[in-house]
Formats: sequence, C-alpha cells, structure tokens
Amino acid sequence: MKLRRGLLIIGLLTPGLGLILALIGTVVYIAVSQSFGYYSLNGTNEFSTEFWSKMAGRKAFKRSIQYSIYIGVFSAIFSVALAYPLAIWLRKPFAGSNFIGAVLKAPLLVHGLVAAFLFINVISYHGILNQFMQWLGIWSEPRRLQNDPNAYGVLILQTWKNMPFALLLLTGAVQSISDDVLDAARDLGAGTWDRFRRIIAPLTVSGMQAAMVIIFIGAVADFSFQVIAGPTNKQSLSQLMVSFKGRGDWHSAAVVGVSLMMIALVGSAILAVVARMVMRGRIK
Amino acid sequence: MVAIKIERLTKKFGDFTALSNVSLDVQPEEFVTLLGPSGCGKTTLLKLISGFLEPSEGSIKIGGTDVTHVPPEKRDTALCFQSYALFPHLTVRENLEFGPRQKKIPASERKTRIDDVSEKLDLTAQMEKLPNQLSGGQQQRVSLGRALAMRPSVILFDEPLSNLDAKLRDQVRIEIRRIQKEYGLTAIYVTHDQAEALAMSDRIVVLNNGRVEQVDSPELLYHAPKTKFVADFIGDANIFSGTIVGQKGENIVQVETAIGTIEFETPTAPTSKKVNLCWRPESAVIGNTGIKAKVVHRAFQGHFTDLMVETNGTIFRVQAKRVEAQEGDDVQLSVAPNEVILLDQSA
Repeated sequence: MKLRRGLLIIGLLTPGLGLILALIGTVVYIAVSQSFGYYSLNGTNEFSTEFWSKMAGRKAFKRSIQYSIYIGVFSAIFSVALAYPLAIWLRKPFAGSNFIGAVLKAPLLVHGLVAAFLFINVISYHGILNQFMQWLGIWSEPRRLQNDPNAYGVLILQTWKNMPFALLLLTGAVQSISDDVLDAARDLGAGTWDRFRRIIAPLTVSGMQAAMVIIFIGAVADFSFQVIAGPTNKQSLSQLMVSFKGRGDWHSAAVVGVSLMMIALVGSAILAVVARMVMRGRIK
Repeated sequence: MVAIKIERLTKKFGDFTALSNVSLDVQPEEFVTLLGPSGCGKTTLLKLISGFLEPSEGSIKIGGTDVTHVPPEKRDTALCFQSYALFPHLTVRENLEFGPRQKKIPASERKTRIDDVSEKLDLTAQMEKLPNQLSGGQQQRVSLGRALAMRPSVILFDEPLSNLDAKLRDQVRIEIRRIQKEYGLTAIYVTHDQAEALAMSDRIVVLNNGRVEQVDSPELLYHAPKTKFVADFIGDANIFSGTIVGQKGENIVQVETAIGTIEFETPTAPTSKKVNLCWRPESAVIGNTGIKAKVVHRAFQGHFTDLMVETNGTIFRVQAKRVEAQEGDDVQLSVAPNEVILLDQSA
C-alpha cells in the first residue's frame, strides 16, 4: 500500500518537478563541467582549474560582478520601495482602484526589449524628454542621456518592469492584515511611519522577501536592458558570458555562467536574510 | 469637570444618518455602556470618541479639551477591540509595551507599568508567548492589558466579550469591572447584550436608529423605561396601548386595554386619554382575582416558570415562582398599580 502510494506520488510529481529538475540539473551540470574543462567543443576534455584562475585575474570579470550585483540589488530595492506605498494605497477598494491596479500592472505585459526601445526613444538625444526639457527652457540644448555611465537608465527600466511584480506580491500580503490590527496600532499612538515600520513591514516580510529575491535574480542576470540602454563602459555578467561564447571560448563563458548562478543564489540568500532582519526588527 | 462631553453629535455616511444629535456627559471613573441592537449607532459613537471617525456635526471634549478633529494616535483614549486586534508577530510583552513605547515612556516606568498590568491580569507566565499560543480569554486579557498600559484617561470597549464562551464571559466581565475600578478609569463600553450592560454599568445609554432613547442607571432603565423600545429591549415587558376610563383615589388611573382594565399609579394625570403602559412579567401575581387568562405555553426555567398566557386573543408573558398551572389551564392574575409603568406617548 505504501509502495503504491509512493509510486503514485512520484508519478504525479514527475511531469512537473521531474522535468524542472532534469532541465535545471542538466544545465547546471554542463555549465559546471565546462567551467572545469569538460565538454569542450573545440579541444581536449580534461579536468582543469585554468579557466577559473584566468577569469579570477581578469579586471573585466570583477567589474562585471560588481556591476551586475549593483543592478540586481538596487532594482530589487527600488521595485519593492515603490510597490509598498502603492500596495498600501490600494489595500482598500475605492472608486477606480481596480483600473489603477490594472494600469500599474501593465508593464508585466510589455516585453523587456520593447520597453527598452521605448525608453531609448524617450531619452535619446532628439527624444521626447530632451525636447520637453528644452521647451520648458530648463535645458538650453539636448543632453546625452542614453547609455549613461551610472546605469540609471537600466535601473529605471528594471524598476518599471519589476515593480508590478512586487506590487502583486505585496498587495496580497498587505490586504491580509486586518483593519483592527492597524487601527489598534494607531489607537496606541503609532503614526503612519510607525504603523508601516512596526506592523505592516514585519507582517508582510515574506511577500517582500519573495519579491526581492525574484527581482534580484532576474536583474542580476539582465542582458536585454543592458545591451540597449546600459553603459558602454561596463558589461553585465550576461553580456560578458555572451561575449566569451561569441569568441568560441565556451569554458570561460561557463565560468561566468556558474559565477552568475552562485551570485544569484548567495545574493538572494543574503537579501532574504537582511530583509528579514531589518523588517522583522523587534522593537528596540 | 466631566471626563467626556459629547454635544449634538451627528454622523452621516452619504445619505445615511448613523448617529443623530447625540449629547452625553460622562463623569470621571464612570462606567457607561452604549446599548442597542445592531445598526443603532453604538459602534459609530465609540469610533467617534476614539477618533477613527470624524463627526458630521457636533463636538467631543475629553477632560475639557476639544478632540473632535484630533486623530486617534493623539487622543488620550485606549480601545479594546472586539477581535482583540493583538499584533500577531509580537510577544505578549511586546504587545503590552507597544503603546508606552510609542508614547516614549521611559524604560523604568514602562517596566513598572507592564509588571503591574501583567500581574493584575495574571499574564506573568504568558509574557514571552505569541498571541496565537494563547486561549481566547488570555488574548482578551492581553488586549485589556495593552490598553491599560497606556494609562489612558478614557478606556473604550467594543463588544470585548462577544468572542468568549458564556462562562468565560462572566469571569472577564467581573475582571473588567474590577480593573476599571482599581485604575479609576472612565470607561465607555459597547454591547448589544442587555444582561452584560445591566450587570456592569453605572449608567446605560440606550440607542435606537442613531438616537438616544434613554440614559439612566440599570435599575431605572429596568424599572422605569421611558419608551416602548427601552421597555422591550431591556428585559421582557408586556406593552399595551389603552384608553383612560377612570380614576380611583388620587393617584390611581384606570385604563381599558386589550386584556381588560389595568390600573397604574401616577402622581400627575396623563395629558392624553390614549396611553401606552408596560409591566414586567415577574410583576404579575397569580391568584384568585384580576385578569382571567389561559396558559398557552409553559417553560420551567429553574428559578422561575415562564408562562405565555392568552386573554381576548392577546398573548402576553408572566413569570412566577412555583406555578402549578399547566398548558390549557385557566389562571387569574393581577399587577399592582405601582408596578405598571406609563410610557412616553411621543416616542
């Protein structure tokens, strides 16, 4: 009976979980193996740490790591920071709240590449923003905003694209807090900021963590926004990986790919822990 | 100086008037209950006092200060919620400390208050537990303790016992009253349970359709209701309309009603011939004189027997100790004139 039940469970899980595990497992295995010299497409297959040691010595690699982490962390923080007040605002239904919610979630329907091109049109040298600022008389001549060195454009795009996702998660979490609990906090002397800091944030920390982690993983591995709107003097890890692959250096590309996976994993864990520590901070 | 002064308070939600022209003075250390059926405006009035709602008209003063437009976080009140509204992520100690921390009470004073409250409410052993690890009664005590730790001028209760079982309700009821007296708090208590209101209050405000029907002590409300609504809502009452047909002596007025002639005592004769009267079921005496009636339903209730009796097609209630009569039997009953209450004709 137990065996049959076990087989049934495995049978039910296999199409979904099995496929995911098989695909992810294969990719991770190939990437890790390639980074250590196996599955060579144009040379000998043997174990080697040469690709890792060479990569560790490359300044471009270190810069890419820093840059990708910068994009990942700030995209996650900005998205969540923007989504929170909106989620609180939309917590109680009011006339037009459904429409506002739908409009705010619209970026989820726009593909990243399309969004990046739209953004470029807005900020390009002869784009709408430059024209508008000149028309207002604030700028006397057009400014170069595209591919800015601090990647503000990429951060804006990432936030624009990911904020609705954070909003989806946080709206549910915020709506689950009862009115009485918030009223009780208010009755006990907590103003708006204290109600957020001491009640809303700790009670929605799980939703916030999920949003931070998922947005971080997506943003740290950004390719499309970076290629179109990112700074020309910096490369994201994805960009670096593709450039190695373009040169036929699959082993170095695999090293970058495995690094990216490790950063996503470790970074997510750190973000989740830090977020919990900050948001669940007991009253001190 | 009165603790709370409410003057001509009106609250409208769009076209709907939830509370209309309510005025009330509450004395320091007084326990006042807002009583009425669902939708009568009692919770609206409580929310206006606590600051969660702003009145459409009128004013509220607490301790002589006008707080009509002061937000709840700045008022010197503390509210005990029907749902307890404990913070689920904080321990009992942190829940109790929440208010004093917000008010920036020094740590030593905070500790004194929390120790005092936890001891008085028997919460010492629960201090490090989360609310979901407590029973309903314990959660209620934490909710009360959280309000008490604020040392407010006025404590407000929004049907705090409605989620407790009957036995626990009795215990907590006594506990709330004891604590209120011990701390010398002015309390406003909302309930729809008349037994709870009668047992706990110094005064009761009976509300109906957003208006105050009567404000009096529990005894006066029970023995001298002014309106049909109050007579009917507080305890059981037999209410009859009738016409004055004569007078007996100086103060006894005779009224012809659907069940026969009823006499009532009044120092001043009513201005109208048409009157509304009421008497409590336990005021009737079953004997050999008075109104003839048939027992249509009999229910033994332990310390009394509840009879539904019929006269001339009108059914009314009689309660008496040691009743021999059974269903279908004929009985005779009388009500002393001083037990019959003349109700306000205009209400």
